[in-house]
Amino acid sequence: MGLKAYINDIVEAVVTTAKGMRITARYGVDPREEVTLQYPEERWEIPERYRGFLHNDIRKCISCSMCVKVCPVDCISLESVRGADKKPVLVSYDINIGRCMYCGLCVEVCPVKSLKHTSGYEKASTDRGELILHFIAEDAAEVKARVARQVAEAAKAAEAAKAAEASKPADVSSDLSSVAAKAAKEEAAKPPVGEPKAAKAEAADLSSEAGKATVAEPKTAKEEEKKP
Amino acid sequence: MTIRPNALPTQEMTINMGPQHPSTHGVLRVILTTDGEVVTRAVPDIGYLHRALEKIGERVSYAQYMPFTDRLDYLAAMNCNCAWAWTVEKLAKIEVPERAEYLRVIVCELNRISSHLIAFGSYTADMGAFTPFLYGIRERERINDLFEMLCGARLTYNYARIGGVSGDAPPGFLEKTKEFLDYFEPKIDEYNELISYNKIFVNRLANVAVISAADAIAYGLTGPSLRGSGVPFDLRKDEPYSVYPKFDFKVCVGAGERGKLGDCFDRYMVRINEMRESIKIVRQAVEQIPDGPVLAKVPRVFKPPVGEVYFRSECPRGETGIYLISDGAVNAYRLKIRTGSFVTMNIFETITKGLMIADIVAVIGSFDIILPEIDR
Amino acid sequence: MEALAISLVKAAPALGAAPLWAVTLLLMLASAGIILVFALTFEGVGSLVLRKVAGDIQARIGPNRVGPNGILQFLADGVKLVLKEDIIPAQADRFLFQLAPYFVFVGSFAAFVVVPFGVGLIAADLNIGIYYVMAITSLVVVGVLLAGWSSNNKWALLGGMRAAAQIVSYEIPVGMALLPAVLIAGSLSLQDIVRSQGGLLGIFGWNLFHNPFSFFSFFLYFTAAQAETNQTPFDLPEAESELVSGYNVEYSGIRFGLFFLAEFGDMFIVAALSTACFLGGWQVPFFNAAALPAVWGNLLSLGVFLAKAFTMVLVMMWVRWTLPRLRVDQLMRMSWKYMVPLTFVNLLGVSLWLLVFRGKGIPAMIASLFG
Repeated sequence: MGLKAYINDIVEAVVTTAKGMRITARYGVDPREEVTLQYPEERWEIPERYRGFLHNDIRKCISCSMCVKVCPVDCISLESVRGADKKPVLVSYDINIGRCMYCGLCVEVCPVKSLKHTSGYEKASTDRGELILHFIAEDAAEVKARVARQVAEAAKAAEAAKAAEASKPADVSSDLSSVAAKAAKEEAAKPPVGEPKAAKAEAADLSSEAGKATVAEPKTAKEEEKKP
Repeated sequence: MTIRPNALPTQEMTINMGPQHPSTHGVLRVILTTDGEVVTRAVPDIGYLHRALEKIGERVSYAQYMPFTDRLDYLAAMNCNCAWAWTVEKLAKIEVPERAEYLRVIVCELNRISSHLIAFGSYTADMGAFTPFLYGIRERERINDLFEMLCGARLTYNYARIGGVSGDAPPGFLEKTKEFLDYFEPKIDEYNELISYNKIFVNRLANVAVISAADAIAYGLTGPSLRGSGVPFDLRKDEPYSVYPKFDFKVCVGAGERGKLGDCFDRYMVRINEMRESIKIVRQAVEQIPDGPVLAKVPRVFKPPVGEVYFRSECPRGETGIYLISDGAVNAYRLKIRTGSFVTMNIFETITKGLMIADIVAVIGSFDIILPEIDR
Repeated sequence: MEALAISLVKAAPALGAAPLWAVTLLLMLASAGIILVFALTFEGVGSLVLRKVAGDIQARIGPNRVGPNGILQFLADGVKLVLKEDIIPAQADRFLFQLAPYFVFVGSFAAFVVVPFGVGLIAADLNIGIYYVMAITSLVVVGVLLAGWSSNNKWALLGGMRAAAQIVSYEIPVGMALLPAVLIAGSLSLQDIVRSQGGLLGIFGWNLFHNPFSFFSFFLYFTAAQAETNQTPFDLPEAESELVSGYNVEYSGIRFGLFFLAEFGDMFIVAALSTACFLGGWQVPFFNAAALPAVWGNLLSLGVFLAKAFTMVLVMMWVRWTLPRLRVDQLMRMSWKYMVPLTFVNLLGVSLWLLVFRGKGIPAMIASLFG
């Protein structure tokens, strides 16, 4: 190594160091270059397509279980029973967000768009159980029992309707006790409709009522979870 | 200098580098046999991140496997997504709308930039300069913002679909992409000034772990690790897929700028230069992108014809080749993935003989390995 | 110290009742206490400033959660270090393992004794001040080597070996780079060196501007001293990306804290020495602080000294967050092929200069030209 190369080496080291230090100094003194977001106080704007926690609007859900089938990690579990109107009634709909990988395939396949990604992303918990979102707050056994009752009632009502067709339509529902049946009676009383149709309407009413009741609950449960 | 034999008996030391080590880029374990600071043997021990990704691919349906490809190379999830989509489309001969292909190219190249930014940043951090790492992360965040806008996720994008992409570019996306490119392009020069040509940095990398072109080919290196040895092999040019033939870009190769051709510095510079080429491609794609649908009609229960296919594409860490056998069912019969990081482990032992411990870090960084790709 | 005790006894006859050695001992303890408090405060605040500077340079904010703007972060860190469990590895050499941090800390802390903080603010104005600093900071190498050896960890051992090789290699350029200041002042005492840089020339009275060789000497010293105290870009013994954390990898709790404090102590010593030897020490430009009443003169000179020293510390932090790390062979090459010859050439240059121009510096010559 000649003297020239030796000196060049030193000069190069000094010059490149100085260049680098100029850049770091510029960043060091320029407060505009700070890019940190003070997270809990400041939030970034969440884009429209953000894939946060899943939320299922169970009023819309038709329990087709497409989401369950497409989920690559099996984080959605769904149970349904056949309701009074031969349509499936959701008994339980749970999403384990500790397992979910937020791929969004379930949202894409949902035919009624009831399953959606929310913008939520904060759910730290010390208990894994808390990471399972229950969209139906009612106990599965209760729901099953109720639906079974409704099915039985609907069957009874249908039988009664059949019987009424034979005799008079007025005294058909006199011995029915449930609210739903009363509604059915009113329904049946008001418009002059055919009896089987009335029975059907009653069942539909019931299921929607049950749906409403359960919809309200998971929401409050969710709010409670969010509060602390 | 002569040392009297057996005057001071010394023995070699075996050191376990990893799987928990800050510079092995994950859970790579290297068993070092050292004579003081000089490494006489370095054997990589892989498998600490084995998650049976290939086997999972044989158990889930073709569409369901898409989110798993995110995890194949989490720093370049878009490239892996698209690689899977292209493979299945090649197998089932699905015609993909042109707009979807353009979107794929845009996201792939953006992801290549973000992946190279991490490669650049973590490499400099390995060399002891921590600041450029954060600069790299800062720029990468902007790319993540773009992707979040496009598909709703910042790391595991799951954006491509068999037959297209999951969603069209939202309004403002292409403009913001252009904005980002304008912002980012001068930053590369800044990186070069800050660290790339820093005397200490150059000395750490130049002439370290030189791989000749013949060796690189013989050991099956791909991607920047191969191009660093001066072999102009780039699947985007040599085996064009998608709409890459429509773009004008050049293949970056190592030039032996500061040392012998094929040293760590060349591999590093290839990545830096590739970022510029990717910017060029994205600019052209944003200009040329046609209107139209973004998803071809693919049956919901998708069953490709019986057959086998091998498709390879240029990912940031080299060639990602997917070999797929279909028996006509909803899931693959056999899936094999060839990744760029895995093959670098072959040559590792050969080139690290006689290097220093600090050079081992430089070699690992110069291959820009990522462990899920190695272990799968 | 005895002289001070005598003067104190004279000033306050009440103290005369106590034997002289007791007063002297008391004074020693008091000054040691003051210096310890200063050193610990500096080390605490230094760690905060280091992180703040890192934040600024890296386009971040840095710690800002504990106290207003994060200024109490160092207290939280300190409390954490004290409260953490002190783990000693099962296979470690317990005695040496426990001993090592004290060596390192004492080596760095004892050097504070001769730092000339102000006109009269010096714990012990040794007539071999520079020599003492060089000697006592070498104690660090013993501690580091012990720590590396006793941890029974291969990474720690490598770190310890690297540290030993590095510190020993860089002692030579550090010493050679400081000698020009000694030659110019004609004394090894740091107070004398600082006094020699006063006068009417203002900042041009500093050794830095004395002659071209002393100018380079300053940069050579600064670089070599960074290497001697294991600061980035010469932090090979720690090298968190290679050796994980080097010699202190097995330490936790307050024992790790001592290493940590010693690191910042070394930083200050380097800054203080370069200030004292090349940047005029406590000399206020164009102003004779020594002529002021004792209290004000001391306060003013202390402020000036600390301002200069802290600027140097900031520069060290700035360098730290800019440069990558050298490799161990490059480090040795830099020492033996670059630093040592250059410092020797410098020393020769300064000596010849002093011989030829009879001790006059360039600024003094220019000043004499204009009368």
